[in-house]
This record gives sequence, structure tokens and C-alpha cells, in this order.
Amino acid sequence: MHTSPYCTIGPFFPGDFVAGYEDLTSFQGMQALGQHILLTGRVVEEGNRPILNAIVEIWQPDSNGVFRHPLDPRAHQADPGFFGWGRARTDRDGRYAFRTVLPGASGGYAGSEARWPHLNLMILAIGLTRRLVTTVFFAESSASVRDPVLDCVADPLARARMLARLEKQGNGPAEIPVYRYDIVTRGESETPFFVD
Amino acid sequence: MDTTQQEPLETSEIEYSPYQENTQLARYIKDYPRSFTRNPSQPLIDRPLTLSELTGPLGLEHRLGIGGVGNIGGVGNEDMAQLTPGGQRAIGQYIEVTGQVVDEDGAPLAGSMIEIWQANSAGKYIHEMDRHEAPVDPNFTGLGRFVTDAEGRYKFRSLKPGAYPVTESDWWWRPPHIHFSIFGPSWMNRFITQIFFPGEPLNETDLLLNAVQDPEARDRLIFQTTPTVVGAVNFLTFRRDFVLRGKHRTPAVD
Repeated sequence: MHTSPYCTIGPFFPGDFVAGYEDLTSFQGMQALGQHILLTGRVVEEGNRPILNAIVEIWQPDSNGVFRHPLDPRAHQADPGFFGWGRARTDRDGRYAFRTVLPGASGGYAGSEARWPHLNLMILAIGLTRRLVTTVFFAESSASVRDPVLDCVADPLARARMLARLEKQGNGPAEIPVYRYDIVTRGESETPFFVD
Repeated sequence: MDTTQQEPLETSEIEYSPYQENTQLARYIKDYPRSFTRNPSQPLIDRPLTLSELTGPLGLEHRLGIGGVGNIGGVGNEDMAQLTPGGQRAIGQYIEVTGQVVDEDGAPLAGSMIEIWQANSAGKYIHEMDRHEAPVDPNFTGLGRFVTDAEGRYKFRSLKPGAYPVTESDWWWRPPHIHFSIFGPSWMNRFITQIFFPGEPLNETDLLLNAVQDPEARDRLIFQTTPTVVGAVNFLTFRRDFVLRGKHRTPAVD
């Protein structure tokens, strides 16, 4: 059977479908285990112009690298305080922010490929008839990353654009580390996106 | 068959091929300027699909809730045109929409979260970006959340949305349509679209609907009418099935 056609979200994606879902650090009344972080950045288009009302969604494993999904053989060990999916919306500066946990290294057992700590990210916006998908890696330098997905990106400058940068160290539970990840959908320093 | 009782599949048994471009909207659309400033200029990169891409959020009703979350309609009775059972009804032509969500093998996708958003019967959204001078209906939010049953089926009641003008840049009139956001069982089949109504004159000129070149593929963005049932409350009935990406890898034979 032929897949249904994708279409843009347009300008009116409801705020009620976003509010609260940018925080992944608790689920069903339980706090997520691991290092809580703020992941924030700007989404811009050609000419470095901010994209307003873009929807950013993420999917990631918990702090131990376990996905809450039956395909993961370790799913029964998944952190009960962590769901793994979140959604945020960009403001007039193109800025989005998630509170989440630092993902653990995943896979590497039962036939699954080992993955460096990362999260999956997709962007929806007016003007985009399909989602744009990329992967965000947590590392100081792409040279240190061993990962079959990052290995598909040949250009070292492009690889570097897939790293979330530690912008501010945390200082106890009141102040969590801030990671910065900017997304350029088109233009100089364009973010690498994957076939979808 | 209750698909939720199946054994977890090995990752190698599921195949998510890239969307075939002739089944999809064009990425670049004439007179839709943002498509030219937002789509990546660089070629999209091939990558292997690992556990991370093959998994995805399941059981979203535990995270998002269904029906009456915040100011979302469709409480319990799956009726977006009546926010509270027995309460004031929204104004418009009432519709009932049914359908099935399946994968490319035609296998039902049970437990799929569906989010709906739409304009009211005057073509007005409850959204700060909507500057169209049309009335807000106090009894209609245009938002709904539903989960497919064991056979991948969904059903909701609402009202037919109005047309509205795109007031920014090059403007045109959008035909009546309903937005669908669907979560399949994998990050690879997260799906978003707009579904149009059959026989609308504005369908002929809509830049988005007509960005699908193949007429058969375009028809997959249009509701099918189903025989209208006359009952105590008469809803015009429409049907739309969705085929999300994903199929079982077929073993090589011969």
C-alpha cells in the first residue's frame, strides 16, 4: 500500500498541544533518573532569520540508554520516571528549550548497534511540507564520537554541527547544565538532515 | 487479532523505506515563499536505522492524556462540537469522521495517538497567529485527541471547518481541511498531514493539495463520503484511512 502524503503543520499548531511537554524530567509523578539538563537553541532559516512557531519534537533513551519500547530488549529496565518524548515550540527569536536527561549510550546488545549518547530531533514548520530529521550528539568533539549514524556525515564541519555544546555548567540541583543546540534549516552552517 | 499481544519484533524484521517522492507533496512550491527559504539546500544524508530510530513513543495517552486535557474538546464522547456532555453545542455542520490507521502491509496500528486541530465553521482558529476577522465560537476549540482501537480504527465527531484566507505574503483561500498528527509505533512513522473535503471548489486552487502531482496520491488527502445515516442527530459522515510507513521485510525467495 502507498503511504499517505505528509503535509505542513501551517501557522496554527495549537499551543495546548505543546504546553508542558517541553519538560521530560518526570513521568507519572516520578522524577527521571540521571543528569537533568536544559537543551536549548535557535531554529533559523536562510539569512539566519528565526523561524517562529516551529515545532521541535525529540525522542531519546533514558539516562541508562534504555528506550521505553518493546523493541528494546532492556525495555523492562526503563526508568519509570522517564517517557522519552517531548515537544517544544519556537518563539519570535526562533528559540526552543527542553528540560530532559542526558541520554545514556544505547544499543550494543542482542544484535543492536552501539550508539553514542544522542537524541533524535525533528522539526515541523509552515513552509516545510515534510518533517526534517536529525540527531543531536552529546560530546565535546566529534572526533571522539563512535557512532554509525554520525559516521554517515563525512564533512567534519557538518559533523561538528550535530553536537550539543555545554554552554553552562550546572551548580547543584537548583541550576542544571545548559546544552546549546542551534538548528539552521537552510543557509550557511546548515544542519545536516537525514533521508526520511 | 489484538496486535498489542504480539511478541516484540526483531529490529531487523521491520523496514522503513524512504517516502517515495511521487506519493508526497513537492518540497518546493511556487508562490509559497517559505518553502524556498526553509528547506535544506544540502542533500539529505543516508543513515542506518538502529534501535534509536526504530523505536518511538508508545502509550502517549499516559503522557498527553485524551479528550479533556486543558481546553481540549472531545471529552469521553469523542465529540469536539460539544465540549461538555449535555453542554452548549458549537455552531456548524456536524460531521462524523471514521477511519483506520495501517502500515504499508495493511496491518492495523493499534494504540496510535491521533491529534486533531481545525478551524471553526467560520474559518477561525483559536490561535494568537490567526488574524482572520471571523468570529470565535465559544463552544468550539477545534482540538481533539483520540487513540486507535485494536483494529487501528478511530472515530470522532466535530463540525465542518470553514475556508479562510492566508493573509501573509502571497495570499490564497485555504479550502476546508482538518489537521491530523499521528504517532505510529516508531520514530520513523511519526506522521502529520491535512485532510480536505470532497467536491470543494477551493480544492482546485489550493497550493498545498495541488503540490501532490499524482492524482491518486492527491485523493489520499481527501475524505471519502460514506452513506449518511439519518438518526436522532444527523452527522454528515466522512472516512479517511491512513497508511503509515513501515512493512515487514519479505524474505528473498527463489
